[in-house]
Amino acid sequence: MKGAALGALVLAMGLAWAAVPTNTLLYMESADIPTLDPGATYDTASGALVENIYETLVTYKGKSVSELQGLLATSWTISGDGKVYTFTLRKGVKFHSGNPFTCEDAEYTFRRNLVTNSPESGNWFLAESLLGTSANAADDPSITWNRIARAVQCDREGRLVFTLPKPDPAFLAKLAFAGQSIVDKKWAISLGEWDGTEKTWKSWVGKDLTDSELSKKPSGTGAYRLARRDANTVVLTAFPEYWGGKPKIENVIFQIVKEQATRIEALKKGDADAVETGPRPVLAQLQGVPGLKIMDDIPNNTATAIFMNQKIGNPEYLGSGKLDGKGIPANFFADVNVRKAFNYAFDYDRYIKEVLQGKGVKRTMLLPETFFGYDPTLPTYTYDPQKATAYFKRAFGGKLWETGFVLKATYRAGAQAAQTAMEILKANVEKLNPKFRVELVAKPWSDLLKESRTGGVPMIIIGWAPDYADPDNFLYTFYHSQGYYHPRSNCSDPVLDKLLDQARQTTDREKRKVLYRQVGLRAYEVACYINVPAGLGFIVYNEKLKGVEENFNPMFSNYFGTYFRNLSK
Amino acid sequence: MLAFLVRRLLSLPLVLLALSLAIVGLLQFLTPEQRAVAFVQNEQQLRNLDKVIREKGLDQPFWVQYGSWLKEALRGNLGFSKASNKPVVDTIKERFPATLELALFASVPIILVGVWLGTLAALRKDTWLDQAARVFVVVAYNVPTFVMGILLLVIFYGFLGLAPGPGQLSPENQIELILNPIPRRTGMLSVDALLAGNWKVFWDVLHHLILPVATLTTVSSATLLKVTRSSMLEVLSQDYIRTARAKGLPDRVVNLKHARRNALLPVITLASFTVMGLLSGAVITETIFAYPGIGSWGAQAATLFDVPGIMGFALLTAVITVLVNLVTDILYALVDPRVRYD
Repeated sequence: MKGAALGALVLAMGLAWAAVPTNTLLYMESADIPTLDPGATYDTASGALVENIYETLVTYKGKSVSELQGLLATSWTISGDGKVYTFTLRKGVKFHSGNPFTCEDAEYTFRRNLVTNSPESGNWFLAESLLGTSANAADDPSITWNRIARAVQCDREGRLVFTLPKPDPAFLAKLAFAGQSIVDKKWAISLGEWDGTEKTWKSWVGKDLTDSELSKKPSGTGAYRLARRDANTVVLTAFPEYWGGKPKIENVIFQIVKEQATRIEALKKGDADAVETGPRPVLAQLQGVPGLKIMDDIPNNTATAIFMNQKIGNPEYLGSGKLDGKGIPANFFADVNVRKAFNYAFDYDRYIKEVLQGKGVKRTMLLPETFFGYDPTLPTYTYDPQKATAYFKRAFGGKLWETGFVLKATYRAGAQAAQTAMEILKANVEKLNPKFRVELVAKPWSDLLKESRTGGVPMIIIGWAPDYADPDNFLYTFYHSQGYYHPRSNCSDPVLDKLLDQARQTTDREKRKVLYRQVGLRAYEVACYINVPAGLGFIVYNEKLKGVEENFNPMFSNYFGTYFRNLSK
Repeated sequence: MLAFLVRRLLSLPLVLLALSLAIVGLLQFLTPEQRAVAFVQNEQQLRNLDKVIREKGLDQPFWVQYGSWLKEALRGNLGFSKASNKPVVDTIKERFPATLELALFASVPIILVGVWLGTLAALRKDTWLDQAARVFVVVAYNVPTFVMGILLLVIFYGFLGLAPGPGQLSPENQIELILNPIPRRTGMLSVDALLAGNWKVFWDVLHHLILPVATLTTVSSATLLKVTRSSMLEVLSQDYIRTARAKGLPDRVVNLKHARRNALLPVITLASFTVMGLLSGAVITETIFAYPGIGSWGAQAATLFDVPGIMGFALLTAVITVLVNLVTDILYALVDPRVRYD
């Protein structure tokens, strides 16, 4: 009643709802923003704001994901042995608190990241470079204050010096990660954060900074500062004393809107400049809507694979546990012929057509094609039932073809793309031999996590998003026997290990390229994974917004792929 | 009456204790990994899941986990909610006023529409108005809230542009509040804006309430209407109503005084359930319209297995339930002279 009356009143007043003002950028997303403390930032929702409130020493050059340029650093030198990095820092930079930015702030920032290095944060890869281990002092007693203080310090000229235990060609790229943004030392200490001294460092080891005082009251050198934050909104305003000049967009509003239909309506009405749209099928609703711009065919910077676990840990998934047609042995995928057969049984083109709606690329290796080190000329598997049959007949000395098998493949419940990929594989494998059976099991994410982390499941589909733009971050993760994904695939190959270790020790780019090419070739031969084609991305935004296309870089966390200061309306 | 009130209020802490124990107990069915997932946003963070479990004490035995929670709870610290990325107490302080605001604005039309239309439909049984009311009940009762909400959103905001979009404020007023903040005396934005004399913000908040209130009214008033109508019809067929009419009392007096007052008894119970539901957060409506109340937070906490969040939400709901029940019982005594609490 009342609602209707009010509606009539609005109608009578002839009010039109105003679109977003021209000095304001409004973005709606479903994800909450966990933190505004760089020391705990390890998710895109937090990163999107952190990268605009604070600044890193270096950042990506324009649209490139392989070239870096200075941001808070103006230049740097690397010693001949690749172990000492010396950064000259930008002068005349102010924090939002009014404090001037000096080398001490940078030194404090990196020491704080090494000291806390909490399990939720991304600081493990900083520690890997600077301390030679991904652990913090609580997990690795050999980490002392001296080691931390030596790793990062200011010299007499006010330059920042990093001293690495061994060369790390990915170190610079790691410094471009939003979580390594420089914090305001004086401000942080005044809020009750770690005081930066040896006396107190032990009590901050492993501390979770997600809800730190700094997260509530951030002060960075970025073009925007936090103005207001409540249950569903975060508002940033332009920082008038920003060293790079005043940005055109004065206000940035992030609104959390969980319901997709609501976000799409707001985008169509012009009440949001952009929204988190969800996957590709949504595009059909937005094509041809006046006032909207669609930027399509954005390279995908993640890599997804179907894992074939060579040492299945959970007997629950093995059925009989033997080669008798009623199950599989734990080492079912240890036979390279089985892995190759599966690689030939996956219909890549059909996946691109059905799941990615034609917008996808086949990958030669588990690395985004925009990354340096990716080689498009390497061989790939194609859907080939005859070759798949031939390899199945060779597997286990021909016994597998005789007995058949029952394989249980898992995917995350509700993950449509993963489910379809598994269904395609199942249909193609079962077509080859009536004794072959693939049973699909949908599992909630939390169960799947536990089981795949310990290598319990035979087959699973998982992706990897980059922490930093270096091939090592992908290739080591997937292919090395010490890599993060090793327990899930048990893919151990001495040749791959050797190549990847060499590439980690080489700072010469060309040499690394050659090594990574060899990694790609070897990975094709050992066929540990099925490379799932990568879907191309798209973004939709209000056509009034300028500066997106010419600056878009997929390494940024925020939707627009660039600093908000590069945008205008 | 006073003794009754005291007795009821004294039982509240016991209810809360039993409830918290039950929730912690139920959560033991989840593995530590499942509960640790709340602290993880991406694949990368899983590398340290075991550390997270150790640090947050998720692998501790039941009584240790409950004991440490209770110790803190008695000090007024209900823990940290991962769903809101804030301490639970702060979350409730921040979000409950918004829910209260929505509940206040929605209760009035819900009860008005339900009781008024229900009475009218009963008095004019089998007329076009009664038929229309019945159709309304069937439709509103059978359309799920999320469908109704999205439908109203698409029609009135998307197509007709008669109502504003999601959230509590339009962008220019969000900026307005940064430039000219208003004191948050009650936490209810419309009330605070009114007290501060900021008409622009006040109207904007009201406009943003139209669709969520309309959604809640459509869905919740249907049941109320149905019960009022049938209870009214039952009362109207009683002997004493015929007596009253025979005495020559005017229709209005018979209908509204003799009949409706008695017909309201079941309606009070139902209305109190409705209010209870609104105060515990209109989960779906808040989610659709991006309304920053406790309902959307509770839903989020549940999907994340956010233990402190679930506990906080459940305890708050329990307090609301007990208090609303108490008010209902008092109302009963006022309406029905046969009810006495001694």
